[in-house]
Amino acid sequence: MMLRLALALALVAAPVASQTGGPRLAGRVPAAALPAIDSIIATAVAESLPTEPLVQKALEGSAKNVPADRLVNGVRRGLLQLRAARVIVARAVPGQSPPEGHVAAVSAALARGLPAPIVERLLTVAPNEPPGPALHAAADLIAHHFDPDSAADLLADAHTKGLRGVRLLDVAVAADHELQRGGGRTPSEALAHVRALLPNVPAPNRP
Amino acid sequence: MSPIDPRLQEALDGERDPGELPMDQREAYDRLIAATQVLTAAPQLSVAARVMAEIQQNPAPALAQGPMRRVMRWLGRPRAVTLRLRPVWTLALAAGLATIILLLWGPGDGLTPGRAEGIANFVGHFPGARSVEVVGSFNDWSRGVLHLNDDDGDGIWHAKAVLPAGQHEYMFVVDGERWVPDPLAGRYVDDGFGAGQQNALLIVRPAAVQP
Repeated sequence: MMLRLALALALVAAPVASQTGGPRLAGRVPAAALPAIDSIIATAVAESLPTEPLVQKALEGSAKNVPADRLVNGVRRGLLQLRAARVIVARAVPGQSPPEGHVAAVSAALARGLPAPIVERLLTVAPNEPPGPALHAAADLIAHHFDPDSAADLLADAHTKGLRGVRLLDVAVAADHELQRGGGRTPSEALAHVRALLPNVPAPNRP
Repeated sequence: MSPIDPRLQEALDGERDPGELPMDQREAYDRLIAATQVLTAAPQLSVAARVMAEIQQNPAPALAQGPMRRVMRWLGRPRAVTLRLRPVWTLALAAGLATIILLLWGPGDGLTPGRAEGIANFVGHFPGARSVEVVGSFNDWSRGVLHLNDDDGDGIWHAKAVLPAGQHEYMFVVDGERWVPDPLAGRYVDDGFGAGQQNALLIVRPAAVQP
C-alpha cells in the first residue's frame, strides 16, 4: 500500500515538475552538477522535447553517486538521443506533430542499441500506435542475434495479422524459444516457424 | 353489576314457580337456565384431543418401520424454526461472513492493479545478504521504497509491486551499497554514465491484457 501511494504521488508530481525538473532534483542532484543539468533540461523544454527521461537520468546518476561530470554527460547524452529520436519520428510520421510518447519511446529504443532504420521502419508500420512494445520486441530479437531486418519483417507481419501492443513482445519470446529448442535450427528457420504460427503465438503466464 | 331481582332469584333457587314471573323476567329465567345447562354439560373434546385419539386408534405405519427409516423420515420432515436475532447481531454476523469470504477468495497478495498497471515480480539470489531493495525509474530512483524479502533465509529474495504499465529501468541495491543489475531481467540497457554499467529493463504489461 505504501509503495502504491509513493508511486501514485510520484506519478502525480511528475507532470507538474517535469517542465524544469527543478523541484524533483533539488536536494538529490549534487550541487556541482545541478546548474548544468538544469540548463540541459531547459534546452529540452525550449525544443519541445520530453524532459522526464532527462530528470530520471539525473535522479538515477545521483542515486548511484556518479561523479558530477559523468552525471552531466549522461544527461546530455539523453538530450542528444531525444533529438535523434525526434528526427526519426518526424521522418516516419510526417506532416503531424509527434504523437505523445513516441519520442521518448524511440529514444529508449536507441539507448538499447536498436538501429535507426529499424526503428523508422517499425514506426511506419503503425504510426499512430504506441511504438514501445514493437521497438522492444525488435531489440529483444536483435539482442538474441536475430538479423535486424528479418526481425522487423516478422514484427511487421505480426502487426498485419492483428497483433498489437505487448502481444508483439510474445512474438520475440516465441522466436527465442524456437531458437533455443535446439536441433540445429538457425535463426532464420526459427523466425520462419514463428511467422507460420502468426497470429497464434503463445501468451506468457500471468505473474 | 345490577342486583338480580328477588323473584327471579327465588325462581332460580326453586322456591318460586317460574310461571308466576312477569314476561321479561321469564325470558331472563329461560336464558339463565339454558346457560346453566351448557356449563354443566360434559365438555367437548378439543381438536388436539380428537386428533391424538384418532392417531392412537390408527397407529402410523412409520412405527412399524425400522429405526433408520424413522430417523430419515424425521430428518426429512419440514419443521418450523424460529430464530430471534437483534439487528445489531445480524449486521455483525453479515460483516463477519463477508470478511471470511474476502479472506478466502480475495487476491492473495493484496495487489490489485488498475487497467494501466501491472504486477512486477522481483526475484534475486543473494545468499548472505542482509538487505536487498529495488531502485528504479518507477520510484524516481529513491532508496527505501521497495524492499525484497527472504523470509525463509534461503538466499532467494523476492518482492511484488504494482507498477505503471510500460518500460522501467531498475537495479538491485544489496546491503545498502552494492548496485547489481537483475541477473534474471533478460533485458538490459547501458546506463549512459560512461562506466559500462547496465540497468535491468522491465516491461510491465497492463493487467487488462494479461492472459
